[in-house]
Amino acid sequence: MDDEEEPPILTAVSSSARQLYSLLRCINFSEKAHVTISEQGLKFSVDEASTLEGSAFLEKKLFTTYTYNAPPSSQRHIPDSDEEDEELDDAPTNPTFQISLPSLLETLQIFGLTDPNNSKPPWARDNTSSTAFTNNVLGMNNLCRISYDHMGAPLSIILTEATIRTTCNLTTYEPEYADEIPFDRQSLAFKTIMRGSWLFDAISELASTNPERLTVVARTARGKPYFALSASGPLGSARVEFNNNNPPSSSRAPHPTNPNATANPPDAPPSENLLETFQLGDPDAALRLTYNFKLIQKAQRAMSVATKVSIRCDDQSVLNLQFMIEVEPGERSFVEFTFVPLVEDDDEDYAADDTMLGARTENGELEGGEESDG
Amino acid sequence: MRFKASIQNISTFTKLTASLNSLGPLAWLKLSDDQVCFTIIPEQGTQVWAVLSIDTIFETYTVQSAANNVINLEVPLASLNRALKSALNATSAHIRLTKKDNMPLLALTIVTTSSSNTYSAFPTTGTNNEDPFDQSPLEDFGVGVRETIITQEIPVRVLGPDTVAGLHEPQCREPDVHIILPPLLQLKSISDRFTKQALAGTKAGTASTASRTRLELAANMHGCLRIGVKTDAMSISSVWTDLSNPDLDPSQVHNGEIGIAEHPSTRMKQLGTADGRSEEGWAVVRIDGRDWGKVMSVGRLGGRVIACFCHEHALILYVYLPNETGEDESVLTYYVSSYSA
Repeated sequence: MDDEEEPPILTAVSSSARQLYSLLRCINFSEKAHVTISEQGLKFSVDEASTLEGSAFLEKKLFTTYTYNAPPSSQRHIPDSDEEDEELDDAPTNPTFQISLPSLLETLQIFGLTDPNNSKPPWARDNTSSTAFTNNVLGMNNLCRISYDHMGAPLSIILTEATIRTTCNLTTYEPEYADEIPFDRQSLAFKTIMRGSWLFDAISELASTNPERLTVVARTARGKPYFALSASGPLGSARVEFNNNNPPSSSRAPHPTNPNATANPPDAPPSENLLETFQLGDPDAALRLTYNFKLIQKAQRAMSVATKVSIRCDDQSVLNLQFMIEVEPGERSFVEFTFVPLVEDDDEDYAADDTMLGARTENGELEGGEESDG
Repeated sequence: MRFKASIQNISTFTKLTASLNSLGPLAWLKLSDDQVCFTIIPEQGTQVWAVLSIDTIFETYTVQSAANNVINLEVPLASLNRALKSALNATSAHIRLTKKDNMPLLALTIVTTSSSNTYSAFPTTGTNNEDPFDQSPLEDFGVGVRETIITQEIPVRVLGPDTVAGLHEPQCREPDVHIILPPLLQLKSISDRFTKQALAGTKAGTASTASRTRLELAANMHGCLRIGVKTDAMSISSVWTDLSNPDLDPSQVHNGEIGIAEHPSTRMKQLGTADGRSEEGWAVVRIDGRDWGKVMSVGRLGGRVIACFCHEHALILYVYLPNETGEDESVLTYYVSSYSA
């Protein structure tokens, strides 16, 4: 093997492992993650039974140094010609492999561990002699170096803290799947942008009834955008509504349920619209799509840290949540989730859903104009 | 048979018993004229042989027995530790060997002067003097400070000289590498994380992997210590550099200067590098992660620790307890044997 003569495929140095950790933690719901190395950065993606895909993109600019040398094509194109054609179609030489995501996350957390006094104020620390000039003071800690030498090599993470050097070699596995959940960015049925924390509050609130399904409702009502998340399960149903320029109690009575408090946060700047963007593929029709609630919940970590979230559905009812996360002010990173819709629910089910809502007035969800649209 | 002492350093004694208790429930306590020895020999895992100078924990100290003024006791560490914890805020504490209904026991008498009420005379509540609810209503009426005497009784077993005659400190060959360890709490936090990581790895990987994790610990004679763990999914290791390898004292080594020249560590000095990147010159032991975590708990005593590595054989830790005179008279010796690869 003449690997030694070739430069390593990837060498990336980050001065903050915590940044990487906080992004990758958002997609920590699977044992294995696919890693794709490209000129632009590192993409980590996980999937669950092909119904949910999550990915975090560690952009090149998150690293102080990022050197990528595309592997020589001779090594890449050993497989038969069919595959070669496919590879030529999309990103020909970007190396892809799987690693254990929990192991990577644990490793990135090693930082700061070595100083047990970190959590205490300086005057409460013991054994000060050993940490008189701590690395924190010198700003030398948290140096994290990620490297990938050649195809099939382990992914190495090297963390350096003054006199301690931690090396972690993550075994790389062959990629398991090539197909992503198809999401057509060109033909969107619906798109809205709002604060991540609002979505987080809504989902947390709905989760209290332990629902099975989450229905996304979007339409234009009286020329104004209307967006609602409704959860239903064996224990009942609940709905959170988001409205721009909520009309003052003309159409609805004050809702007894808490979720609505989220929809009209008193501390929100009055001038700011709740929904930043609101686009419907067909402005005259109401959109109503159902997803598995448990899967949506997997994105909760991302919701809680995201500044903004872009909610999009394409013509095939695939839901895509794109989270903008500012790990440091001004530095934006993106974490994405794609969900396959629940297909078992047909029109019949919607009808049942509506009946149920109608029957249970205590939910406070009754609203004449809304039901007629369904 | 008489034993009576006042406890000078309650917090050290408490931490010591807590650390020892993590390795085994029963300790052999040997009291003699000039030292106090605690020995833990568990069925499995690490042995501890602690030799303490009297003044490390005790002050006025008398021990008398027919057998050269030596008393051997079997002490339940958990009870002793619990009793000592209630003495943490005491103004003074005494311990003595006594009998009650023909049962030998160690009686720990604790005197607390506090504003606490008489309820704290009950041993169970005696520990938390800082409890906000512990304020005596009497205090408001000028009754003032009270002296409370608590007596904790710890049942023990007296061991005859023949019983302990067969117990000997383990013998080990001369170590290949000796090195001063970094602060144990630092080492513990890393090794605990490795253990956790290895366990997470087994869940994902094959179920056949044993639930016990083997940490690999290695050191060289150039100030490097390496700790690592391997699983199917990953291998991770941390290397410390710039630690010190203390010089051997010729008077302590068999054959003096010649002994040092022939000492395994002298040979190991020829191998390896100070940056820890070389593959040579490491003395390696494999230890159980959980057991190691328990050993590391001695870090709370804050002593200096010298680790002696016998390659592929054993690891011996000498934990020197800090004392006022600055002399390292009290030492806890941990014997950890290495698993085969």
